[in-house]
Amino acid sequence: MRDVSFGSYYPAKSFVHNMDARAKILISIAFIVAVFLVRSFHFLGFAACAFFVVLSAVTARIPFFKVIKSIRTILFFIVLSAVLQVLFNKNGTPLWEGGFITDIGLINAGFIVARITLVVTGASLLTFTTTPVELADGIESLLTPLKLIKLPVHEFALIMSIALRFIPTLIDETDRIIKAQKARGADFESGNIFKRLKALIPVLIPLLISSFRRADELADAMDARCYAGSKNRTKYKKMKLSYRDIIGFIVIAGLITGVVFLNKFYIVLAVGV
Amino acid sequence: MRITVEHLSYRYGEKDKNLTVPALCDVSLEINEGDFFGIIGKTGSGKSTFVQHINGLIKVQKDSGKVTVADFDLTDKKCDYKALRSRIGMVFQYPEYQLFAETVKEDVGFGLKNFRPDIKEDEAERLVKEAVELCGLNYDAIKDVSPFDLSGGQKRRVAIAGVIVSKPEVLVLDEPAAGLDPKGKEEFLQLLVKFHKTFAKTIIIVSHDMDLIAEYCNRAAVFKGGRITAVGTPKEIFSDYENVIDCGLQLPVTAAVVKTLKEKGVNIDCDFTVNSFVAAVKRFKDGGNL
Repeated sequence: MRDVSFGSYYPAKSFVHNMDARAKILISIAFIVAVFLVRSFHFLGFAACAFFVVLSAVTARIPFFKVIKSIRTILFFIVLSAVLQVLFNKNGTPLWEGGFITDIGLINAGFIVARITLVVTGASLLTFTTTPVELADGIESLLTPLKLIKLPVHEFALIMSIALRFIPTLIDETDRIIKAQKARGADFESGNIFKRLKALIPVLIPLLISSFRRADELADAMDARCYAGSKNRTKYKKMKLSYRDIIGFIVIAGLITGVVFLNKFYIVLAVGV
Repeated sequence: MRITVEHLSYRYGEKDKNLTVPALCDVSLEINEGDFFGIIGKTGSGKSTFVQHINGLIKVQKDSGKVTVADFDLTDKKCDYKALRSRIGMVFQYPEYQLFAETVKEDVGFGLKNFRPDIKEDEAERLVKEAVELCGLNYDAIKDVSPFDLSGGQKRRVAIAGVIVSKPEVLVLDEPAAGLDPKGKEEFLQLLVKFHKTFAKTIIIVSHDMDLIAEYCNRAAVFKGGRITAVGTPKEIFSDYENVIDCGLQLPVTAAVVKTLKEKGVNIDCDFTVNSFVAAVKRFKDGGNL
């Protein structure tokens, strides 16, 4: 249970770590847009995006294997979608006489793998370089305009930071309950899927109950310290845009322009051929 | 069931060997059948990690020593953990947090049905009833009540009934008296004594409470930084004041008084239980030296 890494922050001192959380969130969104802008068959665009990921990882001083590892959790999903593309794509010419695997199927599979891998590694860089608290603050700040239509933005952000804060606690708690039930002979490792799901009930119910208890206690503790939401609330850490963020915006703007240009360029090239 | 631990080491997070501190380091210990064994040490000294090895909740790591319980070899991959766990009951800190079923009867019977899947219904109910009553609760009054509707003290008793229902020969308790008031604690310890006299031949208790250890245990081991610094009777352990203090622990009240008296030149010999202390003081007084 302990090796579950969720949004794992990688502490380091770097250019990217020092960037404003809001800028990083916006850049990440722009990066995902860039990845999705790359049109089918235009692998040069992916190369540009991959270069951006490598560049960010290097400037963030994050070991490369960490970035690669972030794909691990969804590796199954990536492989599955690639295999489905290869097996069931009916377009294009078969690779051999009467075969069901086509060239377009293979290209599409590669396309999907590249797209998912880039989006996940890019997003993981955001969580590697930004603490959960900074993230929540950043999202709150970015959503501030929604206050105009009376959305409780501050409360949303608070809910998010509390949820993030309690993930490690819940993991510990789960670990403990699993052990306690194992000591009473509970078996989580054998039987078919239904049996295993049923075996989880003795873990989930105590977990749910203790979450409610914790929520109550936390609410009381906040009340006791006169917490009253966003009104007139100041922040200990003020967010400020700096030259780093400007550089980040320039680079990502460059990437998007490049991708769009490569999309067009390739067509010209294809027509030229 | 005799428990033998030889040269046991354990590290959390095996992968980065350089980053982790060992939780256990070359620990060897024997616990005999019939022992009321105390395991003491400050937070993070490896006590919990140690006891969780005994019923295989934590598996012995590769080349990190050997744990044998009766004829179960826990380093053997084919070790039958279910059979082992049916004979070793484990009560965790705040056991009431593991309750989950709709009724007390169901919750207490959970372990029983896991260990003996083909047990007959009336036999199961008889054993559940016995366990609940052994824990000092009125079975007929609460058997169909949701465990979550009970009071805190009752919940804990139900949770403990759920552990002892399979009559384990070894009962391991991790800080069992945490969060109980003095009266509740006393009652609880009497319960343990009762278990010890009937089915649980060996009791292993992890605690910070030195008075409890001095009063109830016949043997104890002191943990510090993943190593054992002393093993013996409470008398032997608490007579070595320096080691106890060095391990970040306090002396039991009796031992502290004996120590202070000794510094003032008055020697009292007792084994640090309240009764023996009072008897020793009386003997001393009758000797007319006070």
